Amino acid sequence: MKKKKSFFNRFYVVLCLAFFYLPILVTMIFSFNSSKSLTRFSGFSLRWYSELLNNVEVVKAVYVSVSIAIIATIVSTVLGTITAIGLSRNRKVVRELILNVNEIPILNPEIVTAIGLMLLFSSIGMRKGYITMLLAHITFCTPYVITSVYPKVRSLDPNLANAAMDLGATPYQALVKIVVPMIKEGIFAGALLAFTMSFDDFVISYFVTGNGTKNISIVVYNMTKRINPTINALSTIVILVIIVVLVAANIVPDMMKKRGFSGTTRKEKAVVLVLVVVLLAGLIQCGSVSRQQKVLKVYNAGEYIDLSLLEQFEEEYNCTVIYETFESNEMMYTKLSSGESYDVLVPSDYMIERLIKEEYLQHLDWDMIPNSENLMEEVMDQSYDPGNRYSCPYFWGTVGILYDKTVVDPEDLEDGWELLRNPKYKGKIYMYDSERDSFMIALKALGYSMNTTDENEIQEAYEWLISQRDTMDPIYAGDDVIDNMISGNKAIAVVYSGDASYIISENEDMDYFTPQQGTNVWYDAMLITKDCNEVDLAHDFINFMLREDCALANTEEVGYTSPVQSAFDEMKEGTYEGVSSYIPEIDNPKNEIFAYQTPKIKQKYAELWTKVKAQ
Amino acid sequence: MKNKLIELKELTKNFDDQQVLKGIDLDIYENEFLTLLGPSGCGKTTTLRILAGFDEPSSGQVLFNGIEISKIPPYKREINTVFQKYALFPHLNVEDNIAFGLNLKKQDKSMISQKVDRMLKMVGLEGFGKRDVALLSGGQQQRVAIARALVNEPKVLLLDEPLGALDAKIRKQMQVELKKIQREVGITFVYVTHDQEEALSMSDTVVVMNNGEIQQIGSPTDIYNEPENRFVANFIGESNIIEGHMIRDFLVEFDGYQFECVDKGFPENEEIEVVLRPEDLDIVEPDQAKITGIVRNITFKGVHYEIMIETEKRTYMVQTTDYAEPGRRVGLTFGPEDVHVMWKMGVY
Repeated sequence: MKKKKSFFNRFYVVLCLAFFYLPILVTMIFSFNSSKSLTRFSGFSLRWYSELLNNVEVVKAVYVSVSIAIIATIVSTVLGTITAIGLSRNRKVVRELILNVNEIPILNPEIVTAIGLMLLFSSIGMRKGYITMLLAHITFCTPYVITSVYPKVRSLDPNLANAAMDLGATPYQALVKIVVPMIKEGIFAGALLAFTMSFDDFVISYFVTGNGTKNISIVVYNMTKRINPTINALSTIVILVIIVVLVAANIVPDMMKKRGFSGTTRKEKAVVLVLVVVLLAGLIQCGSVSRQQKVLKVYNAGEYIDLSLLEQFEEEYNCTVIYETFESNEMMYTKLSSGESYDVLVPSDYMIERLIKEEYLQHLDWDMIPNSENLMEEVMDQSYDPGNRYSCPYFWGTVGILYDKTVVDPEDLEDGWELLRNPKYKGKIYMYDSERDSFMIALKALGYSMNTTDENEIQEAYEWLISQRDTMDPIYAGDDVIDNMISGNKAIAVVYSGDASYIISENEDMDYFTPQQGTNVWYDAMLITKDCNEVDLAHDFINFMLREDCALANTEEVGYTSPVQSAFDEMKEGTYEGVSSYIPEIDNPKNEIFAYQTPKIKQKYAELWTKVKAQ
Repeated sequence: MKNKLIELKELTKNFDDQQVLKGIDLDIYENEFLTLLGPSGCGKTTTLRILAGFDEPSSGQVLFNGIEISKIPPYKREINTVFQKYALFPHLNVEDNIAFGLNLKKQDKSMISQKVDRMLKMVGLEGFGKRDVALLSGGQQQRVAIARALVNEPKVLLLDEPLGALDAKIRKQMQVELKKIQREVGITFVYVTHDQEEALSMSDTVVVMNNGEIQQIGSPTDIYNEPENRFVANFIGESNIIEGHMIRDFLVEFDGYQFECVDKGFPENEEIEVVLRPEDLDIVEPDQAKITGIVRNITFKGVHYEIMIETEKRTYMVQTTDYAEPGRRVGLTFGPEDVHVMWKMGVY
């Protein structure tokens, strides 16, 4: 009986440990994968580490994360400790009040704090970037320090500080020699908490940063679109940093104890001083943008540009580009409407329609964009911006079906979207977890317009999706589809053409087609905002992106279809020869472009989509 | 007369809207063992904290060698304190606790260790230097606290109920030792306690306080034998307190009889109170005494019996080595020197 129990105990512990550490272990192992796959290990290599180190954005982000975490930890620890000590000497009413108020930021959802801070910085007109991020981190770290230090202070005999002063210590000496050593466990725990909170913060950082300052979390978040083992390499490094900090946290106090209490030595003081100077120097270097140079702020989707082009542009036009990325059009709109200002935006068609309607944009001066003659005629003058008065195409493509040639019968392709309801492929399908794209599929399969506002048509589409769900058992996935399809995990997936090109270039078994019932043809385009400060430079930037060599480099890097004729031709015949997805089939009259949805319709879609996904 | 070291002049202290000191006037002399005695909340600890510099008086003066010091911070005063719960620094060993003050003054290391050793010897803790203070007994911690204060060679040592946390036997022993140490170092001790026995057995001067006011200042025998009012009489030992009035000098009337006494200087027919200490009363045959009564209760207290005698007007407490049968009728006698006349509370 006893033996049995101990077996279960042990099994339970092992299960817990596996659950905690296996994901981390897998992440670490795949950071050494020689191929791009995140699921199939094909050999040991340090390739991703070297790629990581060569990625300026990541290296900068590591610096930002580490330096902010260190400074925020130091400042919030000092602040929190002083506050805790001060509080313990206050009247009970004041003390309880402040302690309760202090709990609010801890219990508050992070997003509320984030938006609050963002609005605060906007309203006092502070330039967002390193400093605002640092201030925000200090703000949310301090309450944690107070909560971990305060109980320690309360447990102190209040006469200890008096005793020290009685024996000749100044108040400062009493604090340093008596109070701080007595509560150092609390201070240490608080500092550790502050460091980890700051180091991996995403939500608050994301909202309060600007002007191109990004920490690791933000960079990783933007990278997830095209997941690759660089993230694993980065995660491995982060894990190692945390392990080092934890080990240090456990060893240092013991060492201090062994050495006996003698205060900080001169050597330690020197080390701290050097550390602070280095950080400050880095901070200044990081935060300063040379004042003589013109500055252009560009806001684009994540993983959607060849970053070296930005450097090239900066060099040629002697300017600084502040490049920020968003995860979705809606997120971009939120930032824009919160008062953040940008010069150039690169959103999608329906969002462009909305921005035009709401007068966020200014007319393009096509005379200042001579390279516009490189543009293909097919991409111009579309419904979202007739006559291209505001927008200049950036990338374009379709939504279609990616399929495994070795599994799917070519004849079945003739069913178009109905392939997704072919019971032969039950359990082998990835749907795209996006309400608009999914309803587009259903509406097109039924022969309706994907921009319909007819309630009956929408209801029919909903029923189509329900029946597909019930008969086919599809998986509603996000961007992880890309990696899964490269690994050939399923036979069929709904994807964007650019992603399809990338997948096909990595897995030759895959092919792509756009159903004959018509599909969504989409355009992402460059815009200049109404409050743009550098109108000439903004036009130069658009012109630069349309230059033949730049457009080619960009499409090669990203994999989406270029609107520049020469780049398009070169890719079609070169890198992506035979990759059908690179050439959008736009001659199908049943194709459409997304129109701006009224909030009411959007709401309806969202409700129905939630029902579809709820099994 | 010895030199005045500290003078407190019309000292008051308010916390919020409560006045805890209502005008304290007190002189403290060199080499004196002075005790502030009173119930909790009487203001004795506040007075001590003002002397140490932890609190500032709301008004009044603190003169040290004739110089006003009430605004000088504690770390600049030649005064050290032994705290109620010792307030030893738990992260330092015995030696480092004692050397704390000397280290702050950046004294020579070998000098410091010499002084520390001398102190350890004086308080009887030789060889304890490297011990962890948290592992010492209460009495030992007490000694470390005393050593830690005295090693700085202060002019005055303040002790805030230092024996309160010790058990009875060790407390007695420490009382003797403290007195010995005080004589040895020859400095002024200001001692705060609520234990009257402690105050009487150690002090040169006892200051009885109540409600933020000084009730009486005097030597232990004065305080015991000539309490100035009902509060002091009640607080110091057990008493029979009887209301009466002064006929004239050396003659007092209470319980319907006139008695000789040794007190004078009260107005004629002044309403007064008389203290009769229980151990000063003798039990005699009823016909030999003015006051008679019946033995109601007798309790054996070890050295003596405590006997309650019910008379016509009140019940007297008598402490005597003689046995008296309960229910017996007895007489009570006392000499003129046993009658202590004092002002009625609030009159003087």
